[in-house]
Amino acid sequence: MSVFMDLNVPFTDNHELLQQLIQTAAHLGYSTVAINYMFEPSAKNKQVPVPADISQLIGPLPLVQGRSRPIRVLHRLTVVVSDPAHFVTRANAEEYRPFNLLAVQLTSEKLFHAADRGVVFEVSYAAALRDSTRRRYTITNALSLMESCRGRGVILCSAAEQALELRGPYDVITLGVLFGLCDADSKDCVSSSCRSVLLHAETRRTANGIVSTRRREGAGPLGEAVSAKRAKVI
Amino acid sequence: MVRVKSRYLLCEINVTERKYLLQLDDRAVAAAVREAVGRIHGDYGEALCNIRFSVKYLNAHTGIVFLRFSKRFYKLLWSALPFLTCVKTRGQTIPCFLKCLHVGGTIQTCQKFLIKYNTQQLHRMLPNCKNEEEKEHVRKAIMNCSQAWGRKKDDDDEVRSEEDEEE
Repeated sequence: MSVFMDLNVPFTDNHELLQQLIQTAAHLGYSTVAINYMFEPSAKNKQVPVPADISQLIGPLPLVQGRSRPIRVLHRLTVVVSDPAHFVTRANAEEYRPFNLLAVQLTSEKLFHAADRGVVFEVSYAAALRDSTRRRYTITNALSLMESCRGRGVILCSAAEQALELRGPYDVITLGVLFGLCDADSKDCVSSSCRSVLLHAETRRTANGIVSTRRREGAGPLGEAVSAKRAKVI
Repeated sequence: MVRVKSRYLLCEINVTERKYLLQLDDRAVAAAVREAVGRIHGDYGEALCNIRFSVKYLNAHTGIVFLRFSKRFYKLLWSALPFLTCVKTRGQTIPCFLKCLHVGGTIQTCQKFLIKYNTQQLHRMLPNCKNEEEKEHVRKAIMNCSQAWGRKKDDDDEVRSEEDEEE
C-alpha cells in the first residue's frame, strides 16, 4: 500500500473550511497534508507568518481512509521571490524553523538547474478545475516541465481552496498521465517523491542529515557538568 | 467470436451535504460524465463515450456508482473524470466530485471490493456514533458482514473440494 500525500493545502482564516479540507483529505486516503502559508517579502511591513497550532485550529485529527492512524498535518511556507539566490542562503534562519517544508514561487525564470539537488517542482491541479483558460495554461506548463525534468523531481498537489476541489490519489495519478507522465512516474509524484521531499526538508534542520540538536528545557545536571569541565581546564 | 472486454470503474460521489445525494439519478450522472469528457477531450471524447459507456448502478444513499467503459479507451475517459465538478439534475446543479475506488474487469470483482470497502466504512462510523443505539446498530451490521463473508468462504472451499473429488 502506498502512502499518498498532498503537500499544498492553502491556509485560510476560516477554520471550518480548513477542517472540512482536512477531513475530506483523510476520507480520500491522503496520510499527510501540508498547510501552505504564502509570504511575499517585497510587500512592506510583512513579517514571516507564524504557523498556528494544529490542535487549536482543527481539534482531533480524522483517521485516514484504509489505515488506523490519524492524518498528519505539516506546515509549509511559500516565499514569492524573483531571485531565489539570496533566499536559499537564509533557509536555516530562525523564522523558518517552525515550518516543515519551504517552497519558493518564482516570478522569473531562474533556478531550473536545482532539480538535481533534491529540490522538487510542484504542479497544482486545482486551478485546472476552475476554468478552461487556466486549464490550458496548467497543461502547457506541466508538459513543458515534464520535458525539462524527464518526469523525475515533480510532485502533484491540489492547492485546493475548498473541499470540493480535492481529488482522490488515483484520480490525481490519472491526471498526471494527462500532464505527460507515464503511469509509474505519475504514481511516484503522489507518493514517493512527496516522501523524499519531506525527508530532504528534515535535513535542513540537521548537520548534513546526520546529527540534529534540540533545545533542552531548564539548566539541570548538564549545567553543572559544564561548569565542572571549565574548572578542570583552569 | 472475439470476447468483448470492458472496464468497470467503481466510484464514490462526494457532495457537501448528504441530502443532495438523494436527488441524483443514473441518467444525470451519465450526462455529467459525457459533458466532462466532451469538455476535456472534445468531439473525440464524446465519440468514445458512445462506444460502451453506461452507468451500471447508482446507490443514492451511499453515493456509489459503477461506470462501464470499453477496455481500450477507459484510461482516456478516466482522465476526464477529475474535471467533473457538478451534476445537473431536475433543474438543480449539485456541486460534487467523483473519487475512483477500484477498477475491475467484471462487475463481480467490483462488488467484492465494494463489500470490503463498506465494511471498512462501518468500522470508521463506529467511533463517530452519538448514542448507544446507533453503536449497537453499527455493531450488528459489522457482525452480519463478517458472517456473510465467512459463509461465502465456506461455500468457495466446498466448491473447490468438490472439484478435486471429480478430478
